Amino acid sequence: MKFYSKNRRKSAAAALLVMVMLLSACGGKQTASQGQTDSGAAPAVQGASAKGGELTYALATSPDTLDPHRSGLAVAVRVIRTIYDSLVVQLPDNTIKPWLATEWTISDDGLSYTFKLRKDVKFQDGTPFNAEAVKFNFDRILDPATKAANAAALLQPYKSSEVIDEYTIKLNLSTPSRAFLGNLSQALLGIVSPTAAKQYGDQLGQHPVGTGPFKFVKWDENADIKVERNPDYAWAPEIVTNTGAPYLDSIDFKIVPEEATRIGSVQSKQVLAAETVPPQNILTLKKDPNFQLLQANTLGLPYTLFFNQERAPWNELKARQAVQLAVDVDAIVKTLYLGTYERAWSPLTPGTFGYDPSLENSVKPDIAKANQLLDDLGWVKGADGVRTKDGKKLTLHYVDGTPNREKRNDIAVMVQQQLKQIGVDVEVEITKDVRTVVYTNGNYDLYGNSQVNSDPNALYSFYHSYDPKSRPTLPRLASPEVDKWLEEGRVEKDDAKREELYQKIQHYIIDNAVILPIYVFPYTVAASKSVQGLTFDSLGYPLFNDVSLQK
Amino acid sequence: MLWMVTRRLVTSLLVIIGSLVLVFTILYVLPGDPTDNMVDPSMATPEVIANLRHQLGVDQPFHIQLLHYFGSILQGDFGKSLLNSDPVLPKIAESFPATLALTGASVLVSVTVGLLLGVLSAIHRNGAIDIIARVIGLFGISMPTFWSGILLILIFSITLGWFPAMGSDGWQTLVLPALALGTVGSGFIIRMVRNSMLEVISEQFIVTLRSKGLAERAVMYRHALRNALIPAVTMTGMLIGDMLAGTVVVETVFSRQGIGRIISDAIMAKDLPVVQGVILFSAIIYTLVNLLVDLSYTLIDPRVRRST
Repeated sequence: MKFYSKNRRKSAAAALLVMVMLLSACGGKQTASQGQTDSGAAPAVQGASAKGGELTYALATSPDTLDPHRSGLAVAVRVIRTIYDSLVVQLPDNTIKPWLATEWTISDDGLSYTFKLRKDVKFQDGTPFNAEAVKFNFDRILDPATKAANAAALLQPYKSSEVIDEYTIKLNLSTPSRAFLGNLSQALLGIVSPTAAKQYGDQLGQHPVGTGPFKFVKWDENADIKVERNPDYAWAPEIVTNTGAPYLDSIDFKIVPEEATRIGSVQSKQVLAAETVPPQNILTLKKDPNFQLLQANTLGLPYTLFFNQERAPWNELKARQAVQLAVDVDAIVKTLYLGTYERAWSPLTPGTFGYDPSLENSVKPDIAKANQLLDDLGWVKGADGVRTKDGKKLTLHYVDGTPNREKRNDIAVMVQQQLKQIGVDVEVEITKDVRTVVYTNGNYDLYGNSQVNSDPNALYSFYHSYDPKSRPTLPRLASPEVDKWLEEGRVEKDDAKREELYQKIQHYIIDNAVILPIYVFPYTVAASKSVQGLTFDSLGYPLFNDVSLQK
Repeated sequence: MLWMVTRRLVTSLLVIIGSLVLVFTILYVLPGDPTDNMVDPSMATPEVIANLRHQLGVDQPFHIQLLHYFGSILQGDFGKSLLNSDPVLPKIAESFPATLALTGASVLVSVTVGLLLGVLSAIHRNGAIDIIARVIGLFGISMPTFWSGILLILIFSITLGWFPAMGSDGWQTLVLPALALGTVGSGFIIRMVRNSMLEVISEQFIVTLRSKGLAERAVMYRHALRNALIPAVTMTGMLIGDMLAGTVVVETVFSRQGIGRIISDAIMAKDLPVVQGVILFSAIIYTLVNLLVDLSYTLIDPRVRRST
C-alpha cells in the first residue's frame, strides 16, 4: 500500500491554502462586526431606555449551582439574583423595604415575624406564589437532605413557620435577631418554585425556577449560562427604578476564568461586560474612552488579619500593638492594588450599618514606638536582627490559603518584610487546607479572612467569646464587655442605640489591636460604553433590571 | 493480531483500575475537604458542616468510600458531583466534543507544520530554511501554552480582531487554542522528522537509489521520508496523550468547554466523583489511541506486520 505519495504534498498545500483562506475570511467577518459594535458605543444618549438586545457578561469562575439554597460561591449569586426574588430588599442606607412581602410586623419579644405577601406574583413555571411556597422554601433549607450550605447559616435562628392564610405567613425564631430581615434580603434565601424543587429534587440547580426578572434558558458547562426576560415581571423592589420586566431580551453569562482573556474579550468587544477586573487593568480601562469601569464596595467585614489571642506572645496587648504600629497597611494596599482598593480601618466596611468613620487614620505606622513596646516586654534583638526572650525567638506564624486570591499571599510577604524591622520573624505558611490548619488545629498567630454580610451582627461569630465545646472564633477573643455589646446589638430595637453599640465594639477591637484591617474588596465590572443602567445591590451584586443597550 | 489486541485491552483495564485507585488515594490524602467550597467556615456552625459531610458521604472511612465507588462503577453508575449533584457522565459527554475538536485541530497543526518543516529542514540541512525551522521548533517546545495562548489573544483578538479570545462555539474559536497547543507538538515533530530523515539519508540504500539514477525528489519523498515516518507516528500517538493533558491549560486560557476544565475545577473543589469520571474517561481514550497507533505501524512498516 502506498502510504505516502505526491498526493500527500498536494493535500498539504491545499490545507495550507485553506488555512490562509480561513484566516482572511475570518478577518473580514470580525472587522464587520467590530464596526457595528463601534457605532453602538457612540456617545451615550440619555432618555428613554432602549428595549431589547442581549448583554454578554463574563464571569470570573463557574457558578457551582443555581440552587440558591445550596450555593456557596459569590459568583453563583450574580446569576441567582437574576432568577430569584427575596421577601424583602435592603437599600444602600441599610433600611429594609418590601419585595415579595408587602409589609410585616415583628412580635414584641422579637421571636416571630408576620409577613403579608404580594398577591400578584407567580413563578416562572406558572406556580402561584403564596404563603405555602414561602414555608416550603424555609423548610427545604432546614431539611438536611437538601444539603443546604450558606443558606442554612443565613436562615438562623429560624425555627418554624405557620401559614396564617394564603398570603400571610408567620416565621418563628428560636432567639431574637436584628440581622434576620437583612439575611432574608440575600439572594441565597431567594424563593424557589416549590413545583420545580419537588420535580427536580437535587437537580434544581440545573433547572432553576424563581419569580425573578429573568428566566433560566440554558447552562452549557464551563461555557455560558443564559437567562431571558421574564415578561410577566411586575414586582421589582425599590432598589431599582424599572418596576416592570427588564429592558434586555436576555443575558448571556460567559464563564472566563483567565483574567487576561476575560479583560481581553471586553477590549476586543467579544463581550459587553466582564467582572473582577485586576488592578492594573482598572487603571488602563479607566483611561480608555471606549469603556467604563463600575465599582461597588461590599458590605460586611473587610479583609482582616486576625491575631490568635491564645498563643503567646500575641495574647499580650503590647505585642499586638507593636505589630499594629509596624505594619504599613497603606504601603501594602497601594503597592498591591495600585490605589484601586480602599484601605480598611475598622472591623466593618464603610456602608455597613454602624460603621464608625472616626476610626479612619486612627493608626499610623511608628517603628520606634513598636520597637519600644517590644523592648518593654523584654524581647531583645539578637545578632541576626530577630528578638529573643528566655532563649525563645519572637516568631509570628502567618497562615494564608491558596490560590493567591486578591494577592493575599503577597500581603503575607509584605507583612513579613515590614515586621523584620522590629525584629519579628514571620513564618509564612501557604496551605490549601485552611480548614484543618486554622479552624481545627488553630495553628496560626495571624490569619486573614473577610465576609460579605448585610448586618453588623456578622461581628458576633468573629468576636464573641466562644463556647469551649464548640469551635473557637478566629481571634479567640474573650472580652465580657464585647460579649455584652454584641448580645445587645443583636436584639436592640432602637437604631441609634444599636449604632452606638457597634461603634463601641469597633473601637475596642482597634484599640486593643485584636485585628489588622487591610482592604475593602470592591466588585469591579469593565463594560462597553453602550451598557447603561447597571447597578449594584447593597452587597455589591449586579442588578440587571435597569440595564439597556444604547444602539 | 487478535491476541495482541486482547492482551493490550486487558493490560489497559489494569492500568485504568490502578489509576482510579491512585487518584482516589491522592485526593483522599491531600488536605482540604469538598465542603470547603460549599460553606464559609466562619459563618456556618460545625453542625451544619458535619451534616453536609455526612450527606455527601465524605465522613466515611477510606476503604468504605473506595469500595462504594467501585461498586457503583460496576453498576454503570458514575455518581454525581458532590458540589451540585450533577450526574458525572452527562457532564463529561457534554464537554468532550469540544476537547476532541481542540485535540484534533492541535494534532492537525502539529503534524502539518511538523512534517513540512521537518522534511524541509532535513533536505536543506544547515541552510536558511533549516535554521528557521529549528528556531520555530525550539520555540514550540519551550513556550508554555499559558503564555503563548495569552500572546495569541493579545495579537489576534485584541490588536487585530481576527479571532475571538474565548468560547467554544464555531471553528473561529478553535484557531487560536489549536495554534497554542499545536505549536508544542510541532516542535517535537520537527526535531523528530529532521533527525530521522538525516539518519535515513545517510544510509546505504539511499546511495544505491541515487546511483540507480532515481530522481532526487523520488529518493527523498518516496523512500527516505517513508522510512523516517515510523518514529514520527509513534510521536504523534504520544502527542495525542500530551495534548489531552495540555487541554487543561489551554481550555482555561481560552475559556473553552472541555473535560480539561471540568477536571481542574473538580480537583480544586475536591469533587471526587467528577475527578474519577474524567480520569476513567481519559484513560480509556488514551489506551484506545495507543492501540490505534500500534496498529497503524503494521500499515506503515511491513516488517511489523510480519512479526505479529
